[in-house]
Amino acid sequence: MTLYLPIAEMSVSIVVYVALGLSIGFLSGLFGVGGGFLLMPLLTFLGVPSAVAVATSSSHVVASSVSGAITHYRRGNVDIKMGIVLLAGGLTGTYVGVAAVKLLRNLGYFDLTVSLMYVVFLGVVGTLILVEGVNAARHVRATGGHATRRSGQHSWMEGLPLKMRFPRSKLYISIVPPLIIGMFIGCMSAIMGIGGGFVLIPAMIYLLRMPTGLVIGTSLFQIVFVAALATVLHAVENKTVDIVLALILIVGGVVGAQFGTAVGEKLRGEHLRILLGGLILLVAARMAIDLVLPPANVFSLATATGAS
Amino acid sequence: MRPLLRLSLSMLMALSVPALADVPNESIEADASTRQVAITSSFTGTEILVFGAVSNSTQPTPEAGTYDIIVVVEGISAPVTVRMKSRVGGIWVNTQSMRFASVPSYYAIASTRPVDEIADRAVLDAHGIGFDHVRMVRTSQSRTDATDPAEMQAFRQALIGLKKDEHVYVQSDFGVSFVGRSLFRATIALPPNVPVAPLTAHVFLFKDGKLLGQYDSRVMLQREGIERYIHETAMTRPLLYGVFTVLMAAGFGLTAAFAFRRPA
Repeated sequence: MTLYLPIAEMSVSIVVYVALGLSIGFLSGLFGVGGGFLLMPLLTFLGVPSAVAVATSSSHVVASSVSGAITHYRRGNVDIKMGIVLLAGGLTGTYVGVAAVKLLRNLGYFDLTVSLMYVVFLGVVGTLILVEGVNAARHVRATGGHATRRSGQHSWMEGLPLKMRFPRSKLYISIVPPLIIGMFIGCMSAIMGIGGGFVLIPAMIYLLRMPTGLVIGTSLFQIVFVAALATVLHAVENKTVDIVLALILIVGGVVGAQFGTAVGEKLRGEHLRILLGGLILLVAARMAIDLVLPPANVFSLATATGAS
Repeated sequence: MRPLLRLSLSMLMALSVPALADVPNESIEADASTRQVAITSSFTGTEILVFGAVSNSTQPTPEAGTYDIIVVVEGISAPVTVRMKSRVGGIWVNTQSMRFASVPSYYAIASTRPVDEIADRAVLDAHGIGFDHVRMVRTSQSRTDATDPAEMQAFRQALIGLKKDEHVYVQSDFGVSFVGRSLFRATIALPPNVPVAPLTAHVFLFKDGKLLGQYDSRVMLQREGIERYIHETAMTRPLLYGVFTVLMAAGFGLTAAFAFRRPA
């Protein structure tokens, strides 16, 4: 059974794309991540033009993070004030990112930029998660599982202006770092078609020193809005959002996520992290190989219209 | 007049007069089986039949090969940039490009035999017949443009090769066949990824390398139904389209969360 995608202008097998949506959903539920970092590369491997893949992934991110965001909000795990500051930066960054996509496509460097960003970010983050997971697993084996507490200091941020009180997070810090972090994530998210949680969460924990319990909810809160804006801007600026493709992937994705969550609850956190780190590194490696190996054809075509 | 001369004259008349008077120039008429191709959500490509007849055909049998027919089906022309990667610091990067202002988005050619055997370069060039003769207009050069003629040729060849790989440039050297002394037919494949735009079918009639006639006909290619509605909304009202996509995504996310809610 095939379906014609109106924006990607290609005829695709429904079964393959629903299966893709289900698997991505399963993994995102399992690891508690958005799954955009897996979806975008897989779509391009299947022949979807990379700009369409990025824009459509953004809409998938909205679907996969909105329910999590609401659940966390109900449980009081969202620092709204911090979320809004992050979002202010995030929305600006998204705007810059979408404009960058347009510019890079015209110059012919879009695919290269996306691949390089995937290799660098996934490579670094994957390694960190893997190392941390392995250490935690060892630690659990050695001590029986009592985590060590980080120190709450961020001395270099003390001198920055525009300090603000964040009662939920019990922080009194300058809004400059969250603004910059939000902007960076927004820009990255728009270019790579991902939510950016895997960079945002560590940044909130290690740079802003937010309480761990608030980190996931607050990051989901910001991701929903950033991905929503990225989708709308991609639709307006690049005309690369394929709603039919989005629909297939989202239907598979939301169902798969429920199974993933159920399985994820049976696994140990550090084992999940080792698996996630490995998966992220695998994607990064695949992208790196494509950059380094001689391409099948050194020539490529670019047309002026939205897709293909 | 001497009898011998009279005889030879009458023989000459007998030979030449019918050839001049009874056989006017051959001409061609043709059409496509489908004037309208609808691109719907179930579109997986299609075929169109181009058929026609040679008027005043002197061809004794369908296989005689007195005439050559070339069918060219062309999509509208659009700008295309061809980019070339080369290795920079260990990774493959687009380093050179060539921009064409106008290249047919789709180009299918079928003929009774290879086009190079049918007519010479000048004729093929003049009518844009065959991959080597397709009209492609270059634009003014940009910084990364190739300038060397050999390189330019390489880019042109690469463009054609890539279009062939996408099945939007198709060539069938013996794709036109006569089914009678004057009637001919050819099938042209439209792949699922055919650029959605009107097509023009040009049918050329050749004899001994000379173009005797040409007949053009149009095939409309357009989106229908929901495909058309979605595409039009995306192109003309992108803000509405984007917002709707987001609402749809959010709606599904929330629905799933409620539908699968487990006791917390």
